[in-house]
Amino acid sequence: MPAARGSKISVGVSMMFGATREDLRIIGYNLSKICYVVGAILFLPIIVAVAYSEFDTIPYFLIGAAVSFILGALMSHFLYTKKEMELKHAVVMAALAWLLAPLLASIPIWLASATGSYLDASFESISGFTGTGLTLVPDIDHLAHSVNFLRHFLQFLGDGIGIIVISLSILGRTEMNSVLAFKGEAKDLGIRPSIVRTSRVIIGIAVTFLIIGTVLFTVAGVWEGLDPGTAFFDGLNHSMTGYATGGFSTRSQNLLYYHSIWIEVAAVVMMIIGAINFNLHYAVFRGRRREILKNIEVRLLLVVLLVFGLLVSANLLFSNMYSSGDAIFRKGVFHVISAQTTTGFQTVLPAHFMLLWPPFSMVILSFAMVIGGCANSTSGGIKLLRVGVLFKSFVRDIKRTLLPRTAVVRGTFHHIEDTPLTDTVVKGAALITVSYLILFAFGTLITVAHGYHLDDSMFETSSALGNVGLSSGITSPAMPPVLKVTYMFLMWAGKLEIMAIFVLIGFVILGLRRGIER
Amino acid sequence: MKKFVLPIVVILVLSMSGLAGAESGKVLIENSRDFDGNQVTFQGEVIGVMIRGNNAWVNVIDNGFAIGIWCSAENAKSISFTGDYTHVGDTVLVSGIFHMACSEHGGDVDIHADNFTLLSVGRGVERMPSLLAVVVSVVLMILAIFLIFWLRHLRKERGKIVPWPMHWR
Repeated sequence: MPAARGSKISVGVSMMFGATREDLRIIGYNLSKICYVVGAILFLPIIVAVAYSEFDTIPYFLIGAAVSFILGALMSHFLYTKKEMELKHAVVMAALAWLLAPLLASIPIWLASATGSYLDASFESISGFTGTGLTLVPDIDHLAHSVNFLRHFLQFLGDGIGIIVISLSILGRTEMNSVLAFKGEAKDLGIRPSIVRTSRVIIGIAVTFLIIGTVLFTVAGVWEGLDPGTAFFDGLNHSMTGYATGGFSTRSQNLLYYHSIWIEVAAVVMMIIGAINFNLHYAVFRGRRREILKNIEVRLLLVVLLVFGLLVSANLLFSNMYSSGDAIFRKGVFHVISAQTTTGFQTVLPAHFMLLWPPFSMVILSFAMVIGGCANSTSGGIKLLRVGVLFKSFVRDIKRTLLPRTAVVRGTFHHIEDTPLTDTVVKGAALITVSYLILFAFGTLITVAHGYHLDDSMFETSSALGNVGLSSGITSPAMPPVLKVTYMFLMWAGKLEIMAIFVLIGFVILGLRRGIER
Repeated sequence: MKKFVLPIVVILVLSMSGLAGAESGKVLIENSRDFDGNQVTFQGEVIGVMIRGNNAWVNVIDNGFAIGIWCSAENAKSISFTGDYTHVGDTVLVSGIFHMACSEHGGDVDIHADNFTLLSVGRGVERMPSLLAVVVSVVLMILAIFLIFWLRHLRKERGKIVPWPMHWR
């Protein structure tokens, strides 16, 4: 994984040689495929609209689909090229695709008046595609089922499966485009030698867990008194957003609506599954079950969950916020898991996070959100693999200092296979971590500048940057537009793991300074 | 005449006193510590009912702030409509003990209802498609299909047809 980071830096350097018109055509032509896929996606909620007799929403999905198709057709015609993508194109294309797809998918959300403005609809759509889960929908409880389904489906497709890779796998001309798209999207999956087979494995894993999750949530819902239809609809949507570690909910109270430990158990299962590396899922499916216990990320995930869970539970206990052990576990541990896996399901009202929860617990949750889940999973944040690599490198450097100068200190970490801890790997992990922390500071400062408390600002910023979705109540339709745009940027940057943004910025600056060469 | 007026006046006074004492969802949630363990009155639209044995959860929303009401199953069964896209839910007036973190229910914020009054029955909401939206969607969709095929035809004419992704097998 960190090796891919290193290659992105070299991409940035190669950009220094300027952008040609052909570069733009290659990027634009591949973006046209994203437009087609988004257009196709917008047909699915029509089925839900028909099932729930919400015929008034159907034209909005058709308009969104038509605009996507028209844009796709125009781009694929006027920017047609036979040239293949290189890594630099893939990185810039991925950065732009994660903006273009949400902007197109937000059209029906906006037209259906689910949000107050197009900016809010775009925020909702970016939050969906990036698997964040922060919402600006003012009245989720009275939202059309079809629009609600779209919000959840965007998370499943965008974050759970990876829309760009799938788009290019289906519509791309060669496998190389898809391989590069994986890298551009900050994924480094080597599950199968063929990219199409890899895509199939990803889709297969996602659908398998989607079915398992839907059954779990539906059974729990019926058991807890929901009618079967509602239990299935809510179960399907929560399963999609649970696996995608997205955190959107069909209810304004999120999972608090159900007042049910069984729904929370189902959510915990899906959140942890979503936060685990695809490669590890595949290894386990192939019978290598012991990988779970040997993997550096899984070990770290368990340790971090245990430590943060204990810290938050102890803090809640001593602050007299909750009086029973049951409540401390269900509120403390549940939200640590939700934060660490970067899901964002919550059973505490946002206002209660801001007004009642002790600042220490809020800071711990913020740390958990910044660290995030496993690499190559659906979760966001810095990723446990990088944290593990940095920790191992720290220990190795201490050993080097203590041992005689002639001693050779080698480090390895186990991630699917034993991997040597090289300086390149460590540098890659450190670079992403520092970039994350700089953006975290940037987002926190802007939020504080709008008059919010430091702990709440850290909490909300880490939630947006880590693609989490837990909210302390700052994110609301009434928040200032500057803050909305800032969080949209953070969600986008967090999803792309930042380096793609730097490459895009370099591409634009060079284009402006030197003009586009023929 | 008097025998009709008096009960009406009594009902009006009672319902108005109930309304006057009802706390808004925003006030209850943002000042939960002040209300914790106290008797409160809360009014709003029912958005969900889950019956659990002899009791039930009724989620009630007031101006975007929803709270779970723990009441008897009998009360919950009196509800006809729960609010969603095509329905306005029943309006209820509830008085009971407010908990910012209920020890009986895993730390959830809730109200344990003593009195549960159905103020008004909800209704279905007719939502007709906008004629403008229908026309625009049909026109745009025809344009999109036309463009896709026409531009593809143009490219074919120039001998630049896009190869079909044969590797997807």
